[in-house]
This record gives sequence, structure tokens and C-alpha cells, in this order.
Amino acid sequence: MPRGQKTSSFFVCAATFILLEVAALALLHATSTLQNIWITRMSHRTMAFLWGSGETVRSQFQLDRLNRDLQAENARLQERLRAYERSGADQAELDRMAAREADSYRYTPATVVKMSRNRTRNYIILNKGSEDGIRPQSGIISDRGVVGIVEAVDKHYSYGLTLMNPEMSVGARLGRTDVVAPLSWDGRGTGHAVVRNLPPHYAVEPGDTVRTSGYSTIFPAGVPIGVTGGSRLVDGSTRQVEVTLFQDFSTLRYVTVVENLERTEILSLEKKMEGE
Amino acid sequence: MMKLSALKYFLLFLAQVAVWNYFNFSQYIFLVFLPALILCLPLEYGPIRTMIIAFLTGLAADFLVTGQLGMAAFALVPVALMRRSVVRLVFGSELYARGEELSFHRQGWQKFLFCLVILTSVYLVLHLWLDGAGMYSLGFNALKFGISLLVSSAVSMAIAYLMLEQTGERWR
Repeated sequence: MPRGQKTSSFFVCAATFILLEVAALALLHATSTLQNIWITRMSHRTMAFLWGSGETVRSQFQLDRLNRDLQAENARLQERLRAYERSGADQAELDRMAAREADSYRYTPATVVKMSRNRTRNYIILNKGSEDGIRPQSGIISDRGVVGIVEAVDKHYSYGLTLMNPEMSVGARLGRTDVVAPLSWDGRGTGHAVVRNLPPHYAVEPGDTVRTSGYSTIFPAGVPIGVTGGSRLVDGSTRQVEVTLFQDFSTLRYVTVVENLERTEILSLEKKMEGE
Repeated sequence: MMKLSALKYFLLFLAQVAVWNYFNFSQYIFLVFLPALILCLPLEYGPIRTMIIAFLTGLAADFLVTGQLGMAAFALVPVALMRRSVVRLVFGSELYARGEELSFHRQGWQKFLFCLVILTSVYLVLHLWLDGAGMYSLGFNALKFGISLLVSSAVSMAIAYLMLEQTGERWR
């Protein structure tokens, strides 16, 4: 048999084999519940593995930049530490507050396995799951601020909504005015959000820092979110402020999942009082 | 001759369906001789034709036995794909060069057993893996595989003998 004919016959044979095997699996997927679940689980695991591997390779090429980011973050933290040391505040009080904060929240570092940025409802998948202590309704933050909220967890992975999702809203405190209002994605760009329903008499200056309010049971208070931009009156009754987010979602790779350990207690108290 | 072989193939296929439907020996024994039927198909059949026959045979078995379409078909198609290579490996390329058919008497039962063990192993690994759907331990699957391979290979020898009986007569 000529070489060319042999090669084409090999490819036809391989294609037929793959076609028949895929057809068999598809039939099995459709007719058997147990195998359906198993095949779906295998497919998810394979995809997660592939995404994870891809991200690992990608991260190898970004080590320089990540090192620079870590150095910058280290410098910022050292600066804050020195500021605390210089402030002359009562050390015991600071220690007590820090201990209280540490007791209330658990921080788990995680790596982004997959994230969407160009959909109307964007999501994020992290490489930590229930076996690592991650629970739904935990916050996702990075050194640059709020990233999202964990929505569902699997054994080794967790799924969350990012700030670029209209279903997600964060209680935000605006810099100088200290007023608290809900912040959500503006639905347009990757780096912008809006704070809605502000009382109209608050004059918000551009450049004020926006941080988490701490009123929710998800994020601790004071996590940076972004800076204020322009503001405008809506229907003459409320003010809407544009916010430029600190977080650049296109370069996000490492995050921290923050879980409020007192969340259940707070929610049950809330429920109890609503019942009465 | 061809019609007789096709009839034998069909009857032995029905026998396999009957075994799966009515004989549950033990949870550790999965008796299969479909790979023997595939092995005994005429050697002039190329891999594609053999794979299609294997796929349809497996699908028909699934339909008549469990209703989980695709399980036997999934496991039997690789057997059909590997058949030519295994025959070349065990019996040599001369069979194809001379245009001969498999013969129990000419090639000897040891080679047939070796051939059947390889093909049955392929089938069993795939079938048990897919049927278990990750629910059983490796130990259980290994034990089931070992016992099933022993039993199935022995029965497959008899099946192959039945399928190739006349061919053997011809070469005697």
C-alpha cells in the first residue's frame, strides 16, 4: 500500500474509532443516570485540571510581575505598620481590636483557576473548596480590594460571583462623608461601579476612597474597593456616584477568601428578632 | 459458508444476551465472550468494518440486556480496533500475507488463548471501569477483573472453537 494511502487510512480509522466511542458515551450519557453523573463529574474534573494547568503555565511567565506586586504590597504593609507604630495609639486597645478581628474572620489564600470578564454575569473559580474550609457566602478579596463572593463550593473548587456581576452588591462607605450605600457594577466596563441611593444632600468629591462598610456579614470593614468619580442626581431624589475600582480583573491571579465566623450567629439573631 | 458463519455469530450473540439476562453467577463474575466473536470475524474485514460491526453488536446487546445503551458498544469498539494488531502479534503477519483465515487447528489453542486473554482484558477493563462509575474500590474491581478474565477466557475458547470449527476442518 502506498505511504500516502496508508496515512489516510490510518486517519480514517482513528476518526471512525473516536466517532464510535463518542457516540457510545453520548448514548450512555443519555440513557443511564449513574453514568451520566459520573461522566459529567469526570468532564468537570478534566476541564478544571486543564484550566489549572493552563493557569500554572501562564503564571510561570508572570512571575516577574507577581514578584513586583508582592514587593509593592510588602512595602505598603510595612508603611502601614510604621504608621501604627508612630500613631501612639493605645497598644492594648489595638491588640484587642486586632485579636477580635482575627477571631471573627478566617482568611484562606486561593488561586484563580478561571474567571470570566466579558459576560453580563461574570464568575470566578478558585482552586480551594469545602475540603479547604471554604463555605458559600464568603468574601473574595485581593491586596487591591474586593473581588467577589463565593456562591457555591465543591470538594476542591469554589465558584463565586465577581464584582462585575449585576447580582452582586456590596455595602460601601464613602471616604470623607462616611456615608454608607450599596455599590454594584455599572454593567459597562471592567473597572467601574456605581454607588446608588445616596441621600442627595451628601456632596461627594471625586477622589474619595470607597471601602467596605462592614455592615454585611461577608466582608470585614475597611477593605478598599475604589475611588469616587463624578456624581449626579437621579430623579431629583437620590445621588449616584461613579467609582473606579482598584481591582484590575484582567491581571487577577491570587486572592484571599474571607469567611465571617460569626455569620451564623448574626443571622440567627437577626431571624430571631424578625420572628418577634 | 459465509451465511453459516453469520448465523453462528447471531446465535452466539443471542447466547451472550441470554447469559447476561438470566445467569447472575456472582457479583465477582462478569462472563463475556463478545470479544471472541469479534476475533473470529473474517480477517479480510478491515478495522473500520470490524469496528462498525462491534459497535452495532454492543449496541444491540445493551438494548436487549440493560437498556443502558453504549456500555458494551464503548468497550467492544477498541477490541475491534486492536484485533488486527493482536492477530499480527500473536499469529504473525503471514496470515494476512497469504489471505488465510484463523484456524483453531492450524494455529493451536495456546495462541488462541493468548489472543483471547488480551482482547477480553481490554473489554473487561473498559466495561468494568464504565459500569462501576467510580463507585467501587480498586481492590473490588481488580478481583472482579481477575475472576471474570479467567472464566471469560475459558468460555471464549469454546466460543472461538465453535465459530471456527469449519475453517479448521478445511485446513486439516
